[in-house]
Amino acid sequence: MSFLNNYIYYIGAFGLIFIGLYIILVKRNLIKVIIGLSILDTGVNLFLISIGYVKRGTAPIFSRPGIEAARMVDPVPQALVLTAIVIGVAVLALALSLAIRLYQHYGTLNLRKIKEQRW
Amino acid sequence: MVNPVLLIAVPLGLAFAIPLLGFISQKLEKYIPPVAMLFNLIVSLSLIPKVLEQPIVVSIGGFPPPFCINLVAGPVGILFSAIIALVGLLVSIYALDYIHPVRHSPRIDTKLSNGVKEGATEKYHMLYLLLLTGATGVVLTGDIFNLFVFFEILCISSYALVAYLGDRAGVESAVKYLIQGAIGSSLVLIGVGLLYGLFGTLNMADIARNIDSVSPISVFVPLVLLITGLGVEAAIFPLNAWLPDAHSSAPSSISAILSGIAIEVGIYAVARVIFTVFGASSIFLFLVLLGLLTLLVGEMSAFSQNNIKRLLAYSSIGQMGLIIFALGMATSYGVVGGLFQIISHSLSKALLFLAVGYMIYRTGSMEISSFEGMGKRMPFTSLAFTIGAFSLVGLPPFVGFPSKFLIVRAALAKGEALFIVLIALVLAGTVIEGAYFFRIVQVLYFKGGETNPNRREEAPIAALIPVCILTILIIVIGVYPRLVTGILNSAASEFLNRVEYIRSVLG
Repeated sequence: MSFLNNYIYYIGAFGLIFIGLYIILVKRNLIKVIIGLSILDTGVNLFLISIGYVKRGTAPIFSRPGIEAARMVDPVPQALVLTAIVIGVAVLALALSLAIRLYQHYGTLNLRKIKEQRW
Repeated sequence: MVNPVLLIAVPLGLAFAIPLLGFISQKLEKYIPPVAMLFNLIVSLSLIPKVLEQPIVVSIGGFPPPFCINLVAGPVGILFSAIIALVGLLVSIYALDYIHPVRHSPRIDTKLSNGVKEGATEKYHMLYLLLLTGATGVVLTGDIFNLFVFFEILCISSYALVAYLGDRAGVESAVKYLIQGAIGSSLVLIGVGLLYGLFGTLNMADIARNIDSVSPISVFVPLVLLITGLGVEAAIFPLNAWLPDAHSSAPSSISAILSGIAIEVGIYAVARVIFTVFGASSIFLFLVLLGLLTLLVGEMSAFSQNNIKRLLAYSSIGQMGLIIFALGMATSYGVVGGLFQIISHSLSKALLFLAVGYMIYRTGSMEISSFEGMGKRMPFTSLAFTIGAFSLVGLPPFVGFPSKFLIVRAALAKGEALFIVLIALVLAGTVIEGAYFFRIVQVLYFKGGETNPNRREEAPIAALIPVCILTILIIVIGVYPRLVTGILNSAASEFLNRVEYIRSVLG
């Protein structure tokens, strides 16, 4: 059980990453693919956060006396995740607006039917 | 001395000033990208002599590296930012008039002509400038997460620009591009996270210094993730399914930027990760083979195309393969040849797309057969196209010749039988390339044309100026390769000598 206890965040993160990849590769509906992208993003963000996590750690602020730096969670991955979330939102918004446009042109979101462009 | 931060800050600030400027004057905004890129070009060129002596390292926020995000304006960074600024400047001059092609010829519908719709141009100029800012940021930054962020700026603006016309083909290719690009950047982010977990730092020089302190197995996973993720944008063979669609459905000015800058920046990122961060000499042979495969697949697919822009897009894949092949040899000649090939491809492919833009616009079709007699209808544009095509094939006296010559010489200097076989295959790829480019040139000059010999429909002056400058540059650098060999040599040694890079950043 200690393995699970120690690595539960990594298991969760890579679980989400693989679920996201699976959805993107298998699903035919563009909206579902975009949901897959979002899940993939969430998994990556969770992974970044868990890198800097310290068990029962505090926020990395010297708010009151007696806090040691070793017991603080690492703030750098949190800053990375903030940036990654913003980028993820931008990609998601663009993807959804493209999906609307695609639907206007083709009347369907099924990616197997949208294939004018060929090798 | 000008601070290299301005190379990123000025275009970024101006990009966001464009929509505000739209409130004052609608006519002014299209002059912003040329101004910003002219600034970047002048600053980059003025920094070259300084950088050749000593790389300029700028720490942002006042902390010393590795605690801050730092910019490293070494020979490689300045070389790339100069190329980006040059091609960006010329394409933005071209776009001054190309943005309103509806005015010239109302009979062609915008979808076929690949012209940009009137009225929405401020978004185009803003995204265009953001794309170039992202590209400049990628080549100048010394921090691997910062590299990811700038890469995303580049990617997101190029997704939007591919779909800019809003037509069926454009939107469909943008969706494909976006999905593949987003998976790629997630992989990059996982790789960055693993590196941070291993080393507790994001500074590329600091990671490079400590890379030997952990077992090779544990750095292998982030290496693979980073190469795969960045390889999507660099169009390495199995990851390039998006490229022909995206490059052929975008407006021609954007195709020129995507082909001439965006994928080169992808190659730069891959090379920086492999050479400087990981120093992964064990995968160089793999890289050479991957490059060869990309080259052959790209050239053979290009050979069978009838759509001119798809042909050029596949030819870009082939050229990227050649560049990866050259960089993978990891000898001084090889890397110089690869970097030279990047310059040559940027200039020639930008020229080809710009020349083709107005040919497509005049004929209303992208089929090669519809360009019959163009040599008489648009003599100057056809001549420019021919020079660009000859340069890509590698004929003297154009810039493609010295770059390909260096690559061949590098492979022969390796002195191994394997490399002699490989370079023979590369040359076979070049023969295929020659075959399809000569076919187009033949269509331009020697087919049809009797129907209307006196009808001259040359492109407008704003389009001819950049085409003319690119043609002159291709010939001048082709005749005097010494103009660029100085910076190319120091750029190659920056890639190959990672100890020097680490020392110049961390002191």
